[in-house]
Amino acid sequence: MSVSVRVIVRTFSELCVTVGMVIVLFVVYVVVWTGVRADHAMDGQIDQLQDQWAKGSVPTAPEDPDAEAPPEGSAGPPPQPAYQDGKPFAVMYIPRFGSGWSKPVLEGTKAGTLKKGLGHYDRTAPLGERGNFAVAGHRRTYGDPFKDFPRLRRGDAVVLTDGATWFTYRIANKPYKTLPTDVAVVDPVPEKAGFDGPGRYLTLTTCEPEWGSSHRLIVWAHLDATQPVERGKPAALGR
Amino acid sequence: MYGWIWRKLPGNAAIKAAISLLLILGVVYALFQYVFPWAEPLLPFNDVTVDQ
Repeated sequence: MSVSVRVIVRTFSELCVTVGMVIVLFVVYVVVWTGVRADHAMDGQIDQLQDQWAKGSVPTAPEDPDAEAPPEGSAGPPPQPAYQDGKPFAVMYIPRFGSGWSKPVLEGTKAGTLKKGLGHYDRTAPLGERGNFAVAGHRRTYGDPFKDFPRLRRGDAVVLTDGATWFTYRIANKPYKTLPTDVAVVDPVPEKAGFDGPGRYLTLTTCEPEWGSSHRLIVWAHLDATQPVERGKPAALGR
Repeated sequence: MYGWIWRKLPGNAAIKAAISLLLILGVVYALFQYVFPWAEPLLPFNDVTVDQ
């Protein structure tokens, strides 16, 4: 065997081993490192929110969800709290995912935003307001926030706080599998959820299958109870 | 390829090994910091919304 053939074969083998190593490193990055970074970022977002709330810059708590009326012209949509794109404004708790499960909710569903927490669809209703408060989250990678999404069941609580009020939503359905183009699932009244009139709804979306993007999983919920934070945690968070 | 790099590195075996380690760390850092963040959105894990 001539020397040059030997060099070619050896270099080719070394390249193959190198490519294999890079692929292994990439899997480590996707599976582990994005999670490490996202957990850190989400903790930072929650800390930032709690600092804000501790300083007293909390949104005004509505006394009673049905009493408040839009101040400027009742014909328009409800007043939008000033959610800033990419900034956290609430913390979500889902007891079904474990008592330690809490994630920040950020405004917008850009890829960069979803790396730091759950994302509120910016065209949908604000938290606790009339309409559909829709939130998207990663099922895999970036901290796997919605990893256990398929375990959600009718009656499960989804609890959110904006620093002034606890909102307890109750899930209405088992996770519903649909296509990415099915934007009607975040309608103000999502008909497929079986809701028959305007109300205060919540929609959660994530991807399906677990590591793919061909479909989406959806759950809907309706607002069951609210209470000011001064009155302590809602019963749904329990113990 | 790696033999060629090894021969190009200066110093004795210990110094060559130290420089190699630094080179490997540099490449891994560049991958994690620049290449993988660019490549990751090409995979389908980011599609969690019903926008389009």
